[in-house]
Amino acid sequence: MNWTKRYPGWTMFGAMVGLLIFLWGLAVPLSSAPAPIGPAAQQFADGARITVWLTLIAGSVGVVLGVLAGMGKLSKFPPLRWACDFYVWLIRGTPLLLQILFVWLVVPSVMPASVNLSDFACAAIALSLNIGAYNTECVRAGILAVPHGQIEAARALGLSPFQTFMDVILPQSMRVALPALANNLASLVKDSSLAYAISVVELTMVGYRVQAESYQPIPVFVTIATIYLILTTAFTTLTSALEAKLEVGQKR
Amino acid sequence: MNIPTTPTPIIVARNVDKRFGSFYALRNVSASFTEGQVTAIIGPSGSGKSTFLRTLNRLEKHDGGDIVIDGIELNDDLKHLDAIRREVGMVFQSFNLFSHLTILRNITLAPMRVRKMSRAEAEAKAMGLLERVGLKNQAHKYPVQLSGGQQQRVAIARALAMDPKVLLFDEPTSALDPEMVNEVLTVMRELAHTGITMLVVTHEMGFAREVADRVIFFDEGAILEDTTPQAFFTNPDHERAQAFLAQVRHGF
Repeated sequence: MNWTKRYPGWTMFGAMVGLLIFLWGLAVPLSSAPAPIGPAAQQFADGARITVWLTLIAGSVGVVLGVLAGMGKLSKFPPLRWACDFYVWLIRGTPLLLQILFVWLVVPSVMPASVNLSDFACAAIALSLNIGAYNTECVRAGILAVPHGQIEAARALGLSPFQTFMDVILPQSMRVALPALANNLASLVKDSSLAYAISVVELTMVGYRVQAESYQPIPVFVTIATIYLILTTAFTTLTSALEAKLEVGQKR
Repeated sequence: MNIPTTPTPIIVARNVDKRFGSFYALRNVSASFTEGQVTAIIGPSGSGKSTFLRTLNRLEKHDGGDIVIDGIELNDDLKHLDAIRREVGMVFQSFNLFSHLTILRNITLAPMRVRKMSRAEAEAKAMGLLERVGLKNQAHKYPVQLSGGQQQRVAIARALAMDPKVLLFDEPTSALDPEMVNEVLTVMRELAHTGITMLVVTHEMGFAREVADRVIFFDEGAILEDTTPQAFFTNPDHERAQAFLAQVRHGF
C-alpha cells in the first residue's frame, strides 16, 4: 500500500503488466494441476480473458458515460437533466440480469438486419450502461465537491466554460470521485459473471461447465474464486495507484 | 482624438443595481475609473464593496444600470464577456490557486488556453513574473506547499500573466496571518507604480492612505464618499465614514 503511494506510476504499470502476464500465462501453471483443473486449463484461461475484456470495456465506457451523465445531471438545461435522471433511475431500479437479457433479446430485434451483435457485445453494452449509471452519481458528487472559488478563478482568467470544465473541474472532481469509481470497478469484475446468462463463456460459465463434466465442484470453484481474487487485486492496485497520483497537491 | 489632459475612463459604471432576493446589495452606484488610477474601496462588511468589484467582471450579474469596460458593454453577450475578462484580472481573498496544478502551471494555464501562447513562451513569462514577486524557486511546488502570503503573490502573478489593463483585488490580505500581510502589500505597492489600473477592496487603511490615488467609501450598497485619501482620512464628510474610521483606528 505504501509502495503504491510512493511510486504510483510504476505501480500502475506493474499492475497492468502483471495482469497481462497472468492472463497469457494462466494456462501453463493450471495445466500441471491434477484432474478436474489440469485438462481444462485452456478453458479457464480463455474464460478469465473474457472476464477481463468485459471489465475493461464496460469499465472504460462506464467512466465516459458517468462523466457525461454526471455533467448532464448538473446541467442548467432541464430536458438534459431529466434525461440523465431518468437513465440513472431506470438502471438503478432494475436488476442487472434483466438489463443483460433485455439488451440480448430486444436490441437485435430493433436493429437493422445487417447489424449483427455478438453475445459478447450485448453483455458489454448492458454492463457499460449499468456501471455508467452508478458512476454518474460518483462523478456528480465529485463535481459538486470542487470549491466554487476554483471555478470563479478560472472564469475570471478568461477560460471558457468548457476549458474551465476540462482543465479545472474535471481533474479536481476525479480526485473525489475515484475511490467510489474504483469500488464500482471492483463490483464490475464480479458482475460480469452475469453474462453467463446469455451464453458468454466467461470465467464463471467455465467453472460451471467444468464442474458439470467432472462432478468435482470444490476444486473447480476454489480455482475460479482464486482467479477472481487475483483479478480484483490487480484492478484495485491499479486504481489505488491512480488515486495516489491524483492526490498530488492535496496534502503537504 | 484623446485630449491628454483628461485621461480616458477605462471603467464606467452607471446607476448599477444588484439585488439578492429582496435585499439591495448595490443601489444606483455610479463611478468611473481612469487608466492607471489606483482606487481603494473601503467600507463596513456587507456594504456592497466586494459585490461592486465582482460585478465588474460579471462574477455577479448586475440587475440594473450599465457597465462599460475599455469601451465594451458588459452584458449577456459571451463575446463581450470573454473580451472583458481578458482585460480584467482578479485577485481573491482566498487566493483560489488551482490546487491540482503546480505554481508554474497555475500561471501558464490561462495564457496558453486563452491567449494561445506556446508552452515555452508562457513558461518564460511565468518565470519572469515569479521572479518579480520573489518566488522563482517555488515554481514546481503545489499551492498547499506554500504559505498564504506566497500563495497570494502567486495569484497576483497569475493575474498579471494575462497582461490585464485592470486588476481587481478582493480583500487580498484579509485571509492572511498578520506577518504575511506586508509581503503581499509590497508587491501591490510596486504594481501601483507600473501604471496598471487597480481597484482594491481592502481593510488596510495604511495601504489605502499611502498608495491609493482615490478612496471610495461604501455603505449600505451606495457610494457615500469618493475623494482623495488625504481628504478622506483627515476630514470625511459623512457621519458613517467618521464612525467607520473611528472603529478601524481603534488600537492604533
